[in-house]
Amino acid sequence: MAQGAAVRADHDYDYSNFYYSSSDDLFAIFGPYDDWWYGSARNNGYYLFSQPMSTKPGPEINLEDQLTHEHRDMLNLASYNYLGLSYHPEVVAAAKSALDHYGLGAAGSPILSGTMDLHMTLEKELAAFKKKPAAMVFATGYSTNVGLLSALLRPGDWAIMDQNVHASIVDGVIMSKANARFFRHNQPGDLEKKLKGTTGKKLVIVEGVYSMDGDTARLPELVAIAKAAGARVMIDEAHSTFVYGDNGRGVAESFEMEDQIDIHVGTFSKALGGQGGYVAGSQGLYNYLMGFARSRVFSCALAPAVTAGVLAALRVAAREPELRTTLWNNVAHFRKLMSDAGVDVGESTSQIIPIMIRNDRKILGIAQKLQRAGLYLQPIIFPAVAKHRSRFRVSISATHTPEQLNRAAGILVETLRSEGIL
Amino acid sequence: MNPGQVQYDYRHAIGGFFEFPTENARKLLPPHLHPVEPHHGQSVLSVMAFDFTAGSVDNIGPYGELVLSVHVAPRIEAGRPMARAAFYPFLVGTTTKESREHAIARWHLPHFPHNIDMNVTIGARDITVGAAHGGAPILDLHITDYQWETVEHYYQAYMHDASGSYMATMALRGRFSENEEERGGITLHPHAFTAGLDIDGVNTTPFRELWMRDGTQTFDPLETLQPGVR
Repeated sequence: MAQGAAVRADHDYDYSNFYYSSSDDLFAIFGPYDDWWYGSARNNGYYLFSQPMSTKPGPEINLEDQLTHEHRDMLNLASYNYLGLSYHPEVVAAAKSALDHYGLGAAGSPILSGTMDLHMTLEKELAAFKKKPAAMVFATGYSTNVGLLSALLRPGDWAIMDQNVHASIVDGVIMSKANARFFRHNQPGDLEKKLKGTTGKKLVIVEGVYSMDGDTARLPELVAIAKAAGARVMIDEAHSTFVYGDNGRGVAESFEMEDQIDIHVGTFSKALGGQGGYVAGSQGLYNYLMGFARSRVFSCALAPAVTAGVLAALRVAAREPELRTTLWNNVAHFRKLMSDAGVDVGESTSQIIPIMIRNDRKILGIAQKLQRAGLYLQPIIFPAVAKHRSRFRVSISATHTPEQLNRAAGILVETLRSEGIL
Repeated sequence: MNPGQVQYDYRHAIGGFFEFPTENARKLLPPHLHPVEPHHGQSVLSVMAFDFTAGSVDNIGPYGELVLSVHVAPRIEAGRPMARAAFYPFLVGTTTKESREHAIARWHLPHFPHNIDMNVTIGARDITVGAAHGGAPILDLHITDYQWETVEHYYQAYMHDASGSYMATMALRGRFSENEEERGGITLHPHAFTAGLDIDGVNTTPFRELWMRDGTQTFDPLETLQPGVR
């Protein structure tokens, strides 16, 4: 294409091509972006993102096709409702009751008028569950990491993160203006290298289960290196709390390393099926965050109905370890179905099972076929993952039945075979 | 090829994109260019090596070229080819005097002032380029392949010297392989060529590897950027 020709919408473009524009007009990027979006991207598969669901996020759902506006019943392997608690009767009843009692919103910041007795109870029971002196509740998982890290770190401090940590961690570090380094995913040797030359206050940040690959942190080696360098350690167990460990306290519990980790973070939106996040640790940490976690200070407190639902979900998760047993049985069952069919599931060892397609151009078409065949899976593509590491992210739930998993695996395998992936 | 365009033919064009500290990148960039950060605080060092067979002007014959660049924000504008990436080459090395003088005069590219030696080793699914000068190693770049396809990709190169600021749009055509499998690598040696880099801060594994074969690199005429333009 010669210079001066019209911009061509093309499958070779993706979100990463539209981060910058060159004009002094802030809106000048909209034109090229819309050329791509309406000319190619949307109708060729990007419409699959953010399709509205008209049911609870259970094993079987109803979804509206954004292209045809048809409503389809589908098997759902896309929601991270790992224990199925978002629609557990006890959870729903607690939320309804709180709605009747407290009304819709908290009507205030947690440090002013927004704290209700429900929030205090949740924090107290959560701290007891995590076996930590204190736990603080935030309105979202994102605001948890942003508030925590921007409260603790200062310019000149060091944050050394696994390269695959969640965006909320990166954004919290950016907001703090601390020095940032990323070590190669789960590679203790590279962590050691990246810690070299750092002086002053240091925080090493890992996750329990990584959300795209479904693998777990190599905690023993990573924590040993961090401690040897004098760094504090933080673990985000968004996908592993209530799933890993004999008592569901997470990957740190499964490695028997809870006391060696200084800051424990998690969410209520994954295994508990609610919304919000928490930081668990020392009383000193809690006290300091109360004053300095700006994302919490300047947000309305978690809605009472959600708080009550999360509290009920926490009680169910703690009381019924058989939910985790069922989840892990389901994980083993689905993993065997994939293994028997020769499906590539990457390095996953968790309830998050990536179905590796490794073809950035075909995956959106495959996703369309899967949905039309009755299976809801979300495609994950570059730049969310590396080029040629496109995959479907399967989230197994305790509420899936073996029969549902068999049907889902059947649709998946048949589609992958028809597309030449298997 | 349109009037005013300049074409170079190559057997191999390989590249590795390496994360390195933005603090280092900013020292290499003129103030009007901004580094692209794939991770906060981490910019992209591009190491590219070309095995050219000929150029369409100035009678430059076969030569090798090693280019160290920082990835910068591309110009995305209606009516302009969409660039896959934009680079600020901060140091170029060539194996011949003729190619060096040509690139300095035509493209305002900053050059290492001596001929370098480039040694290309091609494996079944990988390629290694070793660069040296006067017997002292500069770097060894190892790139692996993935799937091959024929492509036409656009890139932008930004140049800046005492005479002003410039931009060139280039099209790379040929057989192309690209991956982010993290199988390649680089060894940077202490040398005048690498003196602008904090070698310990450069990741030794590329997050992206590119390899093009049997193709062309076509430059549009150089554009002079106005003062203050981004």
